[in-house]
Amino acid sequence: MTSSEASPPAPLERFDPSRNHFERLGLAPAVALDREALESAYLERSRRVHPDRFVTADAATQRLAMEHAAAVNEAYQVLRSPLRRAEYLVKLGGIDLDSSDAGTGAPKPTQAFLIEMIERREGLEAATEAGLEALEDLADELADEREAIVDAAVKALESGEVAKAAEALVHARYLARLADEIENAKESAA
Amino acid sequence: MAYSDKVVDHYENPRNVGSFDKKDTDVGTGIVGAPACGDVMKLQIKVEDGVIKDAKFKTYGCGSAIASSSLVTEWVKGMRVEDAAEIKNSQIAKELSLPPVKIHCSVLAEDAIKAAIADYQAKLAGKSEG
Repeated sequence: MTSSEASPPAPLERFDPSRNHFERLGLAPAVALDREALESAYLERSRRVHPDRFVTADAATQRLAMEHAAAVNEAYQVLRSPLRRAEYLVKLGGIDLDSSDAGTGAPKPTQAFLIEMIERREGLEAATEAGLEALEDLADELADEREAIVDAAVKALESGEVAKAAEALVHARYLARLADEIENAKESAA
Repeated sequence: MAYSDKVVDHYENPRNVGSFDKKDTDVGTGIVGAPACGDVMKLQIKVEDGVIKDAKFKTYGCGSAIASSSLVTEWVKGMRVEDAAEIKNSQIAKELSLPPVKIHCSVLAEDAIKAAIADYQAKLAGKSEG
């Protein structure tokens, strides 16, 4: 590959805000995204639209390059994380976990799950009193559990069960909040 | 996120934190959650002759969620059950000057008090155990 630094950069295409993150990087939407394909697509595209290449261009072109670069970065950040990628695929599948809309928003967990979340806070209080070691055990356990939930969501997405994946990812959000609280407790105990 | 003085006050000095025994027949328990952010809220009322004598809450979430539930427990004490059921999230949001992105916290508190009342009334009717 020859360096393109000497030659003028290829002109930028119009910015299309309706493109999804996969389209932005020229990838097919997939739960099990090939890590190398993602990396090379990101590098190739971010090089092409990098604002440094347009420092001598007019202001409109510079703005356009910024817009492209920001969107490429955002797409990469979302797609490289298995959790965020799964949430994003659920969103493309019609369920927005950031919304509380009854039809298209995050599905409500069962009462039993919510009661469990309250009870586990009581467990956290007990562990806080017991000390750092107990908190670390709790954190390790929870990390494994969260990983298993993301795996379950990925499996559901692979078999096209978007609603089931959404349910698992909602559980993951509750557990993420619990994990934050354990981290805070650990910091205070340390 | 800039919180209003009232939110900060409730967050730093939450009123009525705690629990009642949810098996007591004069206690109604509401447990609700916000799926988008993972907040969980438990709100309980203790009722005597149709009047809420005491209320307690435990909320695991952001400052606005804690403040909303704290405020509701303050408001409902001394209220008749049917009046407490009329509390609207817009009143909570207004009192706490919640910004639009935090309105869902007041919705959560309204859902929690309604769930607690429903639980109490179900017990009263002898239909179910909370």
